[in-house]
Amino acid sequence: MPRDAPDSTLNPAPRKSRWLDLPDLPPAAPPRRRLIDSGILVLAAFTLVSGSAVLWRDGLGRVLPVFGETAWFLAELAPKVVAGIFIAATLPLVLPKDRVAAWIGHDSGLRGLAIAALAGTLIPGGPMVIFLLGTGFLGAGADLGAVVAFISGWSLLSLNRTLIWEMSFLPLHLVAIRFLVSLPMPLLMGTAVRFLINGRGR
Amino acid sequence: MNILIGTVLIGGMAVWLWRQLPNTAWRQAGLKATGSTLIFTVPRMVLALLGAGFFAALLPADQVRGLLGKDSGLSGIVLATMLGPVTPGGAFVAFAVAAAALKAGASTVAALVYVTSWSLFSLTKILAYEWPIMGRSEVALRVFVSLPAPLAVALFGYFLVA
Repeated sequence: MPRDAPDSTLNPAPRKSRWLDLPDLPPAAPPRRRLIDSGILVLAAFTLVSGSAVLWRDGLGRVLPVFGETAWFLAELAPKVVAGIFIAATLPLVLPKDRVAAWIGHDSGLRGLAIAALAGTLIPGGPMVIFLLGTGFLGAGADLGAVVAFISGWSLLSLNRTLIWEMSFLPLHLVAIRFLVSLPMPLLMGTAVRFLINGRGR
Repeated sequence: MNILIGTVLIGGMAVWLWRQLPNTAWRQAGLKATGSTLIFTVPRMVLALLGAGFFAALLPADQVRGLLGKDSGLSGIVLATMLGPVTPGGAFVAFAVAAAALKAGASTVAALVYVTSWSLFSLTKILAYEWPIMGRSEVALRVFVSLPAPLAVALFGYFLVA
């Protein structure tokens, strides 16, 4: 007999999110992306051409090991990719878009640029998600300086990409140096854009 | 080892986010979005990793060492900067190419510059997404203010690596 079954198992209170204040129902799913687009065709052509070149120059004995290495690498990456894709796919559903826009408007100053850069660093997702969010922010009252800081933060510092991809391929010290040197860049770029647009930085 | 660190961090974040979802409807929406993103991403990943593997097999090691190695100086940095935008595909290709170049004798600074240049100026990203979504003048302005970045990374890279 279980000694101390907690009372709450009999009559559970509805579980409240501690960090995110979410409504009862999730938003509608985003529109489906086309599975075959120009991106995948370019990629397929690149793979086919380089694969054929290896086959033609070195023969099948050099081609097959690449398949083996790729399969092994994919197996190694799989857990991380699935977790990362879950985050990338779910986070846009839970983000408070209206509040985000208020944080990074024209008068948000350096703080707005920092918030935008941090958002770019933390929000996972591919170029489609990021640039759509970027125009979404612009439409909701963010200024171009903040949006450039956001895009640059994503381009240079994206945690998702750094942790999933970059650290899988490149030595740790190289990743660390690149990340540290890039850290101030989104702020500088956002400031430069504000300067060019307004004639003075804010 | 790097893969393990990343897996633990990403896994932890995923578990945290999952626990934030308040009810079954939210969890189903999250899983559905995850499924369609997986279907979109996995074929691209497989193609890109295969392509990067073949590309690495084609890289002539001695030439890479000459063009991008420690003694390649400014011309190596310029070349690494120019290779960034023309790299096809996504992050996996760029990082795999950088890793292959390092293995073939490229310097750390050249790899830093290449990755930075790809991050900011990838033509795939700009032509397929940024230009159509953001607009031409917005892209032009962003690219313009980003131009000094690879050089800055190169300068700091020399100090920090040497």
